[in-house]
Amino acid sequence: MTSQSLSAAAPAQQPSRMNRFLLFMQKRRSWFIGYLFILPWLVSLVIFDIYPFGMNLYLGFTDYAVGPVSRAEIIGLANFDRMLFKDDLFIKSLTNTLYYLAASVPLTVGLAFLIALVLNTEIRGVGIYRTIYYVPSVVPIVASSIIFLWMFNTRFGAINQFLVAAGATPLRWLSSPDWVVPAMVIVSLWSFGTQMVIFLAGLQSIPDHLYEAVAIDGGGLWHRLLFVTIPLMTPTIFFNLLVGLIAGFQVFTLAYIMLGPNGGPLQAGLFYMMHTYNNAFRYFNMGYAAALSLVLFIIIFVFTIVMVWTSNRWVYYGDENDM
Amino acid sequence: MSKRIRLILVLSLLVSMLGLTGASLAQDDDGVCGGEPVSFTFLNFWGAAREELMNQVIANFQEVCPNISITNNVQGFDGREELVASAVASSNPPGLIMTTRIETYKFAQEGLIIPVTDYVQAAGLDLGEIFYEGEIGNQIYDDLAWTFPLPTAGGITGLYFYNKDMFRAAGLDPDNPPTTWQELEAAAVAMTQTDALGVEALGASVFNDDPTGDDFVSWLYTNGGTLYTDDGRVVTFNSPEGVETLEWMVNFTNTVSDGVEATTDFWSGIIDSTPDFPFYTDRMGIHFGNVSFFGHLQNNDPQRWEDTDRWGIALRPYNGDNPNANHAGISGLSFAWGYVIPSNLSQNVQDAAYEFLQFLGTEQDGGCYFLFEQGRPSPVRECNEVSAYYDANPYWDMVLESLAIDVSVPVTPMQAQINDILTRAVEEAMFGADVEQVLNRAAEQAQELLDDYWASVDS
Repeated sequence: MTSQSLSAAAPAQQPSRMNRFLLFMQKRRSWFIGYLFILPWLVSLVIFDIYPFGMNLYLGFTDYAVGPVSRAEIIGLANFDRMLFKDDLFIKSLTNTLYYLAASVPLTVGLAFLIALVLNTEIRGVGIYRTIYYVPSVVPIVASSIIFLWMFNTRFGAINQFLVAAGATPLRWLSSPDWVVPAMVIVSLWSFGTQMVIFLAGLQSIPDHLYEAVAIDGGGLWHRLLFVTIPLMTPTIFFNLLVGLIAGFQVFTLAYIMLGPNGGPLQAGLFYMMHTYNNAFRYFNMGYAAALSLVLFIIIFVFTIVMVWTSNRWVYYGDENDM
Repeated sequence: MSKRIRLILVLSLLVSMLGLTGASLAQDDDGVCGGEPVSFTFLNFWGAAREELMNQVIANFQEVCPNISITNNVQGFDGREELVASAVASSNPPGLIMTTRIETYKFAQEGLIIPVTDYVQAAGLDLGEIFYEGEIGNQIYDDLAWTFPLPTAGGITGLYFYNKDMFRAAGLDPDNPPTTWQELEAAAVAMTQTDALGVEALGASVFNDDPTGDDFVSWLYTNGGTLYTDDGRVVTFNSPEGVETLEWMVNFTNTVSDGVEATTDFWSGIIDSTPDFPFYTDRMGIHFGNVSFFGHLQNNDPQRWEDTDRWGIALRPYNGDNPNANHAGISGLSFAWGYVIPSNLSQNVQDAAYEFLQFLGTEQDGGCYFLFEQGRPSPVRECNEVSAYYDANPYWDMVLESLAIDVSVPVTPMQAQINDILTRAVEEAMFGADVEQVLNRAAEQAQELLDDYWASVDS
């Protein structure tokens, strides 16, 4: 139905309510249909993201313990005061998390990129290798954590057996405070497959003629990597770094299973989310846990902003003149 | 034990139960049992083989109260804390929720559950008579009973198991297991073997898995020390007895098993419910396991279980140099299981939930049957006196002795946090920090939490 036919139906009268609605719909059809399509996502965004975030924001300023939220009393900045000046484990858990991040994120991204480069070649059985490297990513983290508990066993574990075979001294991976975080970093490398797949997709979108141009100029593999692959992959590297950073700040399950709620010897593996979880569900300091979550959100937000800001200097999104 | 003998024992137990069950939970014309149909969900964590046993308990209950329908909702242990907190705070909570002692206390403090004291009085139950003192004491908060205990929280620290084969191999007398700290240390040294990788065979360890505050408290009470004053308001674990206890634990670990890291390594990845647990393979001389170890031993090392010349049990050693010290056990610091009734349920569901709770907690073919089938003692005195227990467990007398000496430590809803504070102190001491200093700091932090809690209660 067009606007002309609607006008013709009642030339001398004010359009009926239905007609006005249809006219309104027609004029705004494009955005209305758009919103209709995103409605399910919008509803879930409001219910599962915006509302919980708002509640978290509110609870972070209360003494909420457990039960109906209406019982929570607003205590101002007391939770944040406690965090900064009274809670030793806040700093400790944050430091542990930053240490884990600093090692885990670059190593995981680097390994995923390296393996993706190898698997982007025309080696025989490449599909099988891609599958093999991806499978660990879909192994439940509980299962992989338990497997790694065995692998890190000082006496019987595969990792120490390998070290001994190589002539090195076996390490007390999970019982020495010095080795707990490195052990967690090694476990985190296990699931590099998702990032590898993203890198593979990125690598396959690089036009062949760019590599041909390097070859014509006399460049070898190293030059192809340095002047074509890496620059064109910077958006993907940036994406994987950002996602890895956000996920790394929230490391929880593997450490909780492998080290327990206190994070192993001398709390060397007590990560920020574990400290938050302990306060929320073991101590029933939900208000304080909400404040901790809020601070984590701010920290991640700041890190993200900094990364996005610095990305202008090193991420290559294509020459604007080419567009 | 063969299946046939086991079956006979179970049948004899069931026969002995028949008279008791019907009498104590008869249908009440005025009550919910035998009245209008009512149904509720029972949220618990009794998975694996225990699920069927619980289904049987529910079936037994429904023979008495056929109008009460119960859904046995068994959940996994992962994420248990979130689940329990969400369930109890829900607008439509389960009728009965399995909780730890500290969760019970916290939910009671927040008004999320109802006490069962009125029900108990109406039913004419004498809880002090029915249960061991240490067991029911764990379920009392603010002078009110909130649930009944099941299984025992006692029998966890008061006993130890020892491997007579290893005793003999080390030249020790298997009929005279250590009764004091000093004897324990000598026996442990004799049985422990170390190599370049650490501990190959462990005579004994003052902690299982990792050194924790719970381990420290268990030893503290065998040195005449206490965690708090009787009213639970003042921290006392940094007393001279406390300092002496932690110093002894550190020295023991360094002397016997080459330090905390080597000992923790030995415990890494081993579980007493699997056949490769070192006790079964003659690599562990003494194991401070809880009463569930009877069942694990029976299942994983049945030949040893059948031969009492190869294993034995004894009471946890005490400090022989302290004239005030004696054998002691802790009846659950924070981990004593109970079953709570949420407050935002209709009256008839609460009544029905209590009927089942009473059946589960006190009746012979309720909790008694459930625990007997697992080879575990019951918190109900009468249940443990069934002769079948003595036939099934060669050391039953000592199990009962252990239950009788268990004490219920007066804790508050802050205990989970205080446990972690203590664990940190114990770990720091194990890694070389000054014992007195770390205990004093822990005491200061714990006292601050207690003061905050009692201030909120008193106001």
